[in-house]
Amino acid sequence: MTLRRTVRQTLTIARRDFIATVFTPIFLLFLFAPVIMGSFSAVGALGAASVADGANDRARIVAIVPASRTRAIAEADTRLRDVFRQSEAPPALTTLAPAGDPAAQARSAFAARDYDAAAVLYGPLEHPTVLVSPTGTRTADYLIALAEATLADERLGAARPHLEARRIPFARARPSAGGGHQSAFFAVFGIFFLTLFLAGQVVGTMAEERNNKVIEVLAAAVPLESVFMGKLLGMFGVAVLFVAFWATVVGQIGALMPPSMAAGMGELAPAVGGPAFAGLFIAYFIMAYLLLGSVFLGVGAQASTMREIQMLSLPITVLQIAMFALSSAAASKPGSWLATFAEVFPLSSPFAMAGHAANQPGLWRHGAALLWQGLWVTIFISVGARLFRRGVLQSGSAKPWWRRKGTDAAA
Amino acid sequence: MADDRAVSATGLIKKFGARNVVDGIDIAVPRGAVYGVLGPNGAGKTTTLRMLLGIIEPDGGTRTLLGCAHPRDASDRVGYLPEERGLYPAMKAREAIAFMGALRGLDWATGRKRANSLLDAAGLGHAADSKIRKLSKGMAQLVQLLGSVVHQPDLLVLDEPFSGLDPVNQERLEALIYAERDRGATVLFSTHVMAHAERLCDRLAIIAGGKRRFEGTVADARALLPQRVYYLPKERGEAVSGVLPADAVRDGEGWRFELPAEGVEGVLGRLIAAGHGIADLSIERPGLHDAFVHIVGRDAQGTPA
Repeated sequence: MTLRRTVRQTLTIARRDFIATVFTPIFLLFLFAPVIMGSFSAVGALGAASVADGANDRARIVAIVPASRTRAIAEADTRLRDVFRQSEAPPALTTLAPAGDPAAQARSAFAARDYDAAAVLYGPLEHPTVLVSPTGTRTADYLIALAEATLADERLGAARPHLEARRIPFARARPSAGGGHQSAFFAVFGIFFLTLFLAGQVVGTMAEERNNKVIEVLAAAVPLESVFMGKLLGMFGVAVLFVAFWATVVGQIGALMPPSMAAGMGELAPAVGGPAFAGLFIAYFIMAYLLLGSVFLGVGAQASTMREIQMLSLPITVLQIAMFALSSAAASKPGSWLATFAEVFPLSSPFAMAGHAANQPGLWRHGAALLWQGLWVTIFISVGARLFRRGVLQSGSAKPWWRRKGTDAAA
Repeated sequence: MADDRAVSATGLIKKFGARNVVDGIDIAVPRGAVYGVLGPNGAGKTTTLRMLLGIIEPDGGTRTLLGCAHPRDASDRVGYLPEERGLYPAMKAREAIAFMGALRGLDWATGRKRANSLLDAAGLGHAADSKIRKLSKGMAQLVQLLGSVVHQPDLLVLDEPFSGLDPVNQERLEALIYAERDRGATVLFSTHVMAHAERLCDRLAIIAGGKRRFEGTVADARALLPQRVYYLPKERGEAVSGVLPADAVRDGEGWRFELPAEGVEGVLGRLIAAGHGIADLSIERPGLHDAFVHIVGRDAQGTPA
């Protein structure tokens, strides 16, 4: 009976919070926050890319070679360039006929107005010299490889081997080690990203009751633990809606993805297997949300104004980023002491264990981790509710603990 | 044997820091009564009510609420209007009332239906779909009050319910309290406005400085002070002091003195015999206000609540 009543009270609070959050125009901003963030990132990236493209368009590698070798070196350049992706290809080749002192001509190429030389090759191809700009180390390597290829073409002519290899698509039976690391990072990042979005919402939610003075109505009818759990559940409902929306969107985008990109994604297969990983990801997301949410709720409950909430937001965000950094480091070094620490420390445990699921097979550790995290959720909620009760319900206006003295007036 | 008390507390103590803000208060509220907790600001009324409801835990003493040793166990049968009114501003009036019912175990559909009836009865039917932020302070306060009775509680606890209400709404509130009592509910409310308490209370407790100074009926409280007589001579400046009792004191053009134990007839006879005219001679019964001031005396410290 008591449990039933507690559940009912908790759900009543959760329902109120869910509706109050979702059925507002502001929620659309929250729902589309990733688009807004993505748009800003895209605008920034486009700007950076256009600056980089502008620089790349003017960059050149220069070969000072006799006219008799101009065609050969151009053909070799065309052939070698096919190996590179477009974004990774060396700067375009410019050939110059030798004029006077080749060394002086090479130096003057760096002062050319119509291009920016990254590296300049001069002298006989058999013993070339390359002048290298500070950013042209790899392009210098390419120029030397180009000289070698040109010489090989000249010497072997039609005898130069040309292989027609068979290409057979092949998929790994097990995920690659690199793919596991990448999966781990994406798992950690995914949970971090979701909790980052929700933290701001949770931290301010108790202040609403305090500002509106509804808290005493709630406290008279419902145990504060139920208020806490209700608020966490309400915001969790918001989170589920958010995740479901974006999972659907991403799923549709995935279906439209080119096969080559989809094959690349296949490398991300986690070590525990896709279905188990999906379940664990959800479980760890819930735990991360409840753990961080209960801490944020407890801390946020001490604030009574938006200003205080804003002040609290910074250390909270720093805490989240610290947990993300710790867990990311753990994901890249599975089995290390750092990984073990991150998996055991309550606030980073869900992140790190999600990474663990991507990196290493075996499920028993996850059962133990979920129990461990559940214990800490209980502790955090109990302590948070107690702090809240002490902070708010003495008498008169609510004061945070750091402002309280022992002589509050009774009404 | 069924407990005939809706609320019972013995030796309640609450300390904030080193100070006992509630210092050994006893309260017994009979079932079906309208019971007032009176006291000056800072007397400990709100803290006492909060302890009775289980919102805060006492540092000493025992209490039962509707027969439950743990007030939380009875919370679904209790309605509460706190001194600091609070509603979610974005909620509509009907939803706010249904929400408060849902917190106390009433299903939403019934809550909404009852909310409509209550709003209509309170003359607020037109505001059912208005958001709380659009309502006046008094209207919002009435909505909250309706929310505290929507689940038809056995015990209604109101902390300073009349503050912030205009005279019309104060009358509505009094009517609602009577209606709740007639329904069979017990009403426990705190106030420092004597007029309401005098009209409404079957019994009352007066507390000051965290201690209970009086417990009884309004008549009991008034009986603590003697009745007084006011005499206004017909002619100004008449020398009547020799005829009046020794404790008579001037009050403007007239005189005031304690009603003699044998009645006013003796004084009246002496005045007539001495040929003094009588413009007014009346017996004044002390009000609850006088009794309150008498009981609280110097304990009224005026500490802000």
